Amino acid sequence: MAAGFAGWGLIAAFRLAPADLLPGPVVVAATFLDVLRNGYRDTTLGQDVLATLYRCGVGFLLACAVGIPLGLLMGYRARLRSALDPIVQFMRPLPPLSYLVLLILWLGTGNGSKIALLFLSAFPIVVSSATAGVRSVREQRLQVARSLGASDWQVFRFVILPSALPMIFTGARIALAVAFSTVVAAELMAATDGLGWMVFSASHFLRNDVIIMAVILLGLLGLSLNRLMLAADSALIHWRGVE
Amino acid sequence: MRRHWPALISLGLILAAWIVATQLDWVSDLFLPGPGEVWSALLDLLQNGYKSRSLWAHAGLSLERVFGGFVTGAAVGTLLGLAMGYNRRVEAVFSPFIEFLRPLPQLSYLVLLIVWFGIGELPQILLLFLTALPVSAVAAMDGVKGTSVQRLQVARTLGASEWQIFRHVVLPSALPEIFTGARLAIGVVYATLIAAEIIAGSTGLGWMILDAGRFLRSDYVFVGIILIGFMGLALDRVLLATERRVVHWAGKA
Repeated sequence: MAAGFAGWGLIAAFRLAPADLLPGPVVVAATFLDVLRNGYRDTTLGQDVLATLYRCGVGFLLACAVGIPLGLLMGYRARLRSALDPIVQFMRPLPPLSYLVLLILWLGTGNGSKIALLFLSAFPIVVSSATAGVRSVREQRLQVARSLGASDWQVFRFVILPSALPMIFTGARIALAVAFSTVVAAELMAATDGLGWMVFSASHFLRNDVIIMAVILLGLLGLSLNRLMLAADSALIHWRGVE
Repeated sequence: MRRHWPALISLGLILAAWIVATQLDWVSDLFLPGPGEVWSALLDLLQNGYKSRSLWAHAGLSLERVFGGFVTGAAVGTLLGLAMGYNRRVEAVFSPFIEFLRPLPQLSYLVLLIVWFGIGELPQILLLFLTALPVSAVAAMDGVKGTSVQRLQVARTLGASEWQIFRHVVLPSALPEIFTGARLAIGVVYATLIAAEIIAGSTGLGWMILDAGRFLRSDYVFVGIILIGFMGLALDRVLLATERRVVHWAGKA
């Protein structure tokens, strides 16, 4: 890590690359302070970070709110599963940006089309993981619970949910990562704030210092989102891997 | 056939709703073209191509980029991952970069690559290379680390050389993970490519969708999306078939 950082500093210090193209760490740090204090093109840095997080968060949470119950149901009911699974499986490999064009046409360039895009990119992942979670419950346990006289609700609450939750959480973590990288792409196309917009707008003015700063911020943000999900995972699902 | 009827019914319902909605003019053709229009748009594209290039040329260019970026990225990533799995020092040196690169939205650094390398094939392929690399590296590293210690000890006790251990113990147990990583990587690469073409391309299926969207040709947009979907599905199937053939022992350990 230090070597990479030093390499970057040396390249900048000895002007091995034109400073316009690769500004050094000092310049980027100065830019960070400047953007922090004065904002970037009528948006404050906090506003941009929040805009990105807001879109990502709302799309992701909506996908979880709809996708997890649907996925659980699909795990339960074979007919529902075979009815909806082809649709989910077709959506899954579809690159989200390919239908962004349609969403913009339908919902306009505001937050609606972006949130719909993130919802659609996270949704199939969440659904598949919830379905797979229910399906991975061991038949034996179900039979034991039933023969001990557990009601359907008890079977769900104490047998199926605990075994499905680890997979649901893994799915949610992947979905959040996908939503996060999609939000930046969405902001490149039609936005007036957000970190993705900042990157794209800075590229028009060859402000590579702003670009690099925003890329670093995005990386750190993505890293912390992932850490957050991992922490929530190990706090909530303490029984993972303890089979 | 009995097994498939719920799927057929749900697909039929969607198709019926699509036909009804467009036939009765509930929504304008501009927003949602009917199945007939999409079909004739497909025939039209097949015959005349899109903007001086045939549909096949656009699809071919997209595929070429996917392969260029995926093959190089997966190869370098796998080698790096194997080295990282073997040697803690190598892991300590490279893992911060990989961990940082992995969650980074790919398109955010596409802009930098374009500034550095100009518009054209190079930044796009480089982007896909950088997309595939961390995914493959992590998978290969996990694969090596997942080798059962017992087997390694048995092989050593029986006097296997380092190369023999690698070839006959480590590689077979890491390959399933490497393949899973490759499938993940090609999925991400594919999604990134379409995004890259939309933002920075002037050829390929992704670009075709964007360009058609600008001219409100939503029938072409639909054809593009459906083609992209099927191509993605086909790529995954090809890789899955290769995986089944090469690592026939997966899940049997």
